[in-house]
Order: sequence, then structure tokens, then C-alpha cells
Amino acid sequence: MTGMEDYQNGNEGSFNSEEAETVVKECIENVVGGDDYSQSQVNKWTASIVERCLTQLVKQGKPYKYMVTCAVMQKTGAGLHTANSCYWDTAMDGSCTVRWENRTMYCVVSVFAVTVA
Amino acid sequence: MDDYNLEEETAFVVEDVSKIVKESIEGVIGGNAYQQRRVNQWTTNVVEQCLSQLNKLEKPFKYIVNCVIMQKNGAGLHVTSSCFWDNTTDRSCAVNWENQSMHCIVCVFGLAI
Repeated sequence: MTGMEDYQNGNEGSFNSEEAETVVKECIENVVGGDDYSQSQVNKWTASIVERCLTQLVKQGKPYKYMVTCAVMQKTGAGLHTANSCYWDTAMDGSCTVRWENRTMYCVVSVFAVTVA
Repeated sequence: MDDYNLEEETAFVVEDVSKIVKESIEGVIGGNAYQQRRVNQWTTNVVEQCLSQLNKLEKPFKYIVNCVIMQKNGAGLHVTSSCFWDNTTDRSCAVNWENQSMHCIVCVFGLAI
């Protein structure tokens, strides 16, 4: 039993960012996979992506509050930088950022999970 | 009177946070033109400055600060966020800033402890 705990990093309560990454990648693919950047649709896309990610994460039934941010940018050669800084409980809270692209656009999704006391 | 003061001390005041964020952005990149080799440092400085100013407010919150800087060259950019939290106590605040050569979007999420 101790062996199993060590393998899981000894803390069942900490945020599993790999699992979240899988969830996010699927959501992005489902919403914009195969589409080209379209100004008229992008508003709808970003809203769908964040809502879908949030629903899937909440379904896991873990004791977390979630914040999901999504940025979609058209590929025209412009530079884009994002940064995050967090003041929280480093043992229990966590985040995960997924970068996705296709021929015409970049999509960056960040998930922040904060434990509920 | 006591109840009102306590509420003020422990609430997330969007105007105050907005002011802190604007000052942090101005302090770091105000007056600068977009430069690829510096932008990494800029985004880091903006989030760190915002966070340290927010902590100085000494309110019972966990904070998440997110900053996006994009060069202006005609590209379209959309940023959205969705949150699953306690509606009565948690808040967010987004600030849009721009100058001639770049856009800067900062989001602050405050979660009550």
C-alpha cells in the first residue's frame, strides 16, 4: 500500500495536471480541430472550449474550484506571449497549460485548480 | 458599522484590483514598443508586480494572474475564461491595455479562502 502511495506522489489530493491536459486537448480538437480561423466564429469557439473543459473537469467530481482561460490567435506572424503567476497552496493547487495549433491559428488554454477548504 | 467594515476588508473590490493592474502594466511596459527579446521578461514582470501589489492588500484570497501580450500586426485575438467557483465570494477582473505596437490583456482571479 505504501508503494502505491509513493507512485502516486503520496498525495491523493494534489492536482493531476496530466489528466487535465488530456481533457483540454480533446475539448480543443472537438471544437476547432479541422477549422480555419474565422473572425465570425472565433467568439463562439473560445466560449465553447472553456465551457466544455469546465464541464469535463467538474465531472471528475474532485473538490476543486476551476478557472479555464482560452486564447485563440490568427496566424499572421505576430508574436504572442502569456505568463501566469499564482498565490495559492503549492501542495494542493495546480495548473496546466495546453498549446495547440493548426495551419491558421494558435490556441492556448490554461486551467487553474484551487482546492476548496 | 462593524459588519460593513468587515465586509469591505474581506471582499474582492474590482476597482482596486483594476487600478493595481493598470499601474503594474504601465510601470513595466508603458512607453515601450514591442520587442521580441524583451517580451518574455515583460510578461513575467507584469504578473509578478500585480501579484505582489495584490498581496499587500492583505485580504483572505488566493490569486491567479494571467497576462497576454500580443504584437499589433492585424491578427485577431480572442481571450475567454470560464470559472467554477463560489459565486458569492469569488471574483475576477480583466484589464485591456494597448499602445501603438502591442496589446496587453491581464486577468486576475480572486478566490476566497
